[in-house]
Amino acid sequence: MQIDWLTVAAQIANFLVLIWLLQRFLYRPITEAMARREARIEERLSDAKSRRKEAEDEAEKLRKERKELEASRQEMLEDARVEADDLKQRLEQEIRDEVAQKRETWHEMLEEERADFVEDMQRKAGHKVLDIAGQLVAEFTASGLDDRIAQGFVDQLNDLGVDTREKMAAAAEGADDPALVETATALDTAARRKITRAIHQQFETDIEVDYQEDDAVLLGVRLTIGEQTVEWSAARHLKRLNRELDALLDTASPARRKQTTDEQ
Amino acid sequence: MEISPDAWVLYEWRGLRLNATIVFTWGVMALLVLLSWAITTRLSEGETVSRWQVMLEVVVTTIRDQIDEVGAADPARYLPFIGTLFLFIATANLLTILPGYQPPTGSLSTTAALAICVLIAVPLFSITRRGLRGYLQSYLQPSPLMLPFNLISELSRTIALAVRLYGNVMSGTVIVGILISVAPFFFPILMQLLGLLTGLIQAYIFAILAMVYIASASRAQNRNDPAPDTEHPRTSREGD
Repeated sequence: MQIDWLTVAAQIANFLVLIWLLQRFLYRPITEAMARREARIEERLSDAKSRRKEAEDEAEKLRKERKELEASRQEMLEDARVEADDLKQRLEQEIRDEVAQKRETWHEMLEEERADFVEDMQRKAGHKVLDIAGQLVAEFTASGLDDRIAQGFVDQLNDLGVDTREKMAAAAEGADDPALVETATALDTAARRKITRAIHQQFETDIEVDYQEDDAVLLGVRLTIGEQTVEWSAARHLKRLNRELDALLDTASPARRKQTTDEQ
Repeated sequence: MEISPDAWVLYEWRGLRLNATIVFTWGVMALLVLLSWAITTRLSEGETVSRWQVMLEVVVTTIRDQIDEVGAADPARYLPFIGTLFLFIATANLLTILPGYQPPTGSLSTTAALAICVLIAVPLFSITRRGLRGYLQSYLQPSPLMLPFNLISELSRTIALAVRLYGNVMSGTVIVGILISVAPFFFPILMQLLGLLTGLIQAYIFAILAMVYIASASRAQNRNDPAPDTEHPRTSREGD
């Protein structure tokens, strides 16, 4: 064991120098670098934290906005649906109304057509009945009715009103032409004589009487003096019947139409 | 065979002898400083850090953590002193694998110098922390009767520090020297490896003991301090 005190002193100096050098080149730079790095990491961590906070806030905000948007979208959809339903109902109602109106119009037209048809039908049926009656009368007149016709005519002349009788008499006096007696079939002589005598007797005249056949008279006699005519015949009755039928139908149809319109 | 590198005089000028201890010390110092300088001039504070820088950071933070574990309040205060003790002794010891190198820690002069540094540093740190009065009072604790024992303790542990390190390192060198003459192949290598381990452990023990002394002196005024006996578990290693 030996201690060289000079060396000890030198080593102490060396050690102190080494402390200073290492402090200068090792400890301080390293600790400072580490401190700075830690500070930077800390800063970045806090920065990251704040950014994360920001991002979370932003995300939350966006989420809320999206929810609101969703809600408003739902609301709009609901509104649109309600509106569409309303529109649909309105259109349906309109179409229904229109269809109902059309159907009504159609019904009216149908009713009118039906009424026209019925009227026409009635008219035609009436005329047909009268035609048949006429035909029947015509067929019956063909066989030995002359006397009855003549008698009937005479009876009619006897029953003439005063007014008509005077008119006929006046016509007979002023007439240049002979009186004209028309029948459907040619009368026999006895019948003709009977009629001629009745005319002369009733109108107090001696006017000449001509006899002619006219199918249109059907059954009976038509007497024409001048412009005055007295007719006792089935044709006249039938004509009147036809006129009355027409008049009846004509008055009945507007009344019925009016009635159906009022019901609606 | 020279036991101490002190006796290996390289240059002598007017009675001032430049021995191997001082020269190798300079070598170790130069190595440490140049390495530190080379690395710390290119320090990175970003994400990518060079391996060398990582190594230095690991060394520095480990030393700081060790100081902190001993219980010192402010590791940064003691880091230069304790760190330099550890780095210097460890480097000096580890370089023994280089042929022709004589560890300066194998010289009692060097270890005595380091122990004297510790002897001076303990009251210095204590005084700067507690004041002169507080420091001097610690010699009268727990009673004024203990003053001589406190003084003896102070002195003896300094000597123990110096001799322990010197003995361990010197013995390693001597053993290798003896073994080379007895069994020249292979066996000295094993002893050399063992020497590396011992050297590192000694560096650790020296530094940590110095820290323990400083810490205990700095905290002695507080009797209620929960960890006043930090020295005890460490002293069990003093027999190494």
